[in-house]
Amino acid sequence: MKNASSAPVFSTVFGVTYFICFLYDFALFRYYPEVNQFHLHEQAAALGLGPPILWYGWVAMAAIVSLGFATLVPSRLAAKIPSSACWIVTAVVLLIVLIYERRWFV
Amino acid sequence: MIIILLILHGLLAVALLGAVTHQALSTRRLKPNADRDSFVVRYRSVHDGAFPYAVAILFILTSLGGGFLYPQYRIDVRPSLEERQLSAANGVFEIKEHLAAIGLGILPAYLVYWRRPLLSQYTAARRSLTWMLAFVIWWSFLVGHVLNNIKGLVP
Repeated sequence: MKNASSAPVFSTVFGVTYFICFLYDFALFRYYPEVNQFHLHEQAAALGLGPPILWYGWVAMAAIVSLGFATLVPSRLAAKIPSSACWIVTAVVLLIVLIYERRWFV
Repeated sequence: MIIILLILHGLLAVALLGAVTHQALSTRRLKPNADRDSFVVRYRSVHDGAFPYAVAILFILTSLGGGFLYPQYRIDVRPSLEERQLSAANGVFEIKEHLAAIGLGILPAYLVYWRRPLLSQYTAARRSLTWMLAFVIWWSFLVGHVLNNIKGLVP
């Protein structure tokens, strides 16, 4: 990130990207804890690797995409984005996550 | 090793919870007629600018600890919850992992808006991001403890 105005861009994009990655299973990689292996793609159940953890891959993907945005958005443009955008977008993402995850409680 | 890590993770979480709660409450304006000697007012009257780096570092360390513990949860705890059909317990953990990730993401903006000198145009952003972090941390803390003790809580 070039300067302080890039940090809110990173934070604003991160939550949205993380949610999209989670929703569509876009994980940068998958970790199979039972066999302690990392794979770029989903492995067939027949291989007996056990269930994968996608969370690390979602976080990594969101961090890379957000870092890309924070780097590419020009500082002058980033400085014009109101500070409320960051917390409002993140609050909306939090709310959507909570609503989406209601599926566990029905 | 896992037990040591779990205890360390818990201790870091306690420190984080204390720091972010102090800071979040300090962002609320004091009523002019508030009793300045009351416990609540004194609890809120901390120097809020001293907290951001402590909160950010503790959040990152606690998340790293959680990240290392996660495989054990996935192998041992989650299948046990599924066998016992404790879907809500699984759900609150799923929410915890999403909130922790989103919390990590907002740290850069949180640190920038708390940078000195504190600019008045960022007051709302500072307050909102701090309260969001507080929500994320309280949720994660409570869920972590409930799941850690779930065999005793849900016979």
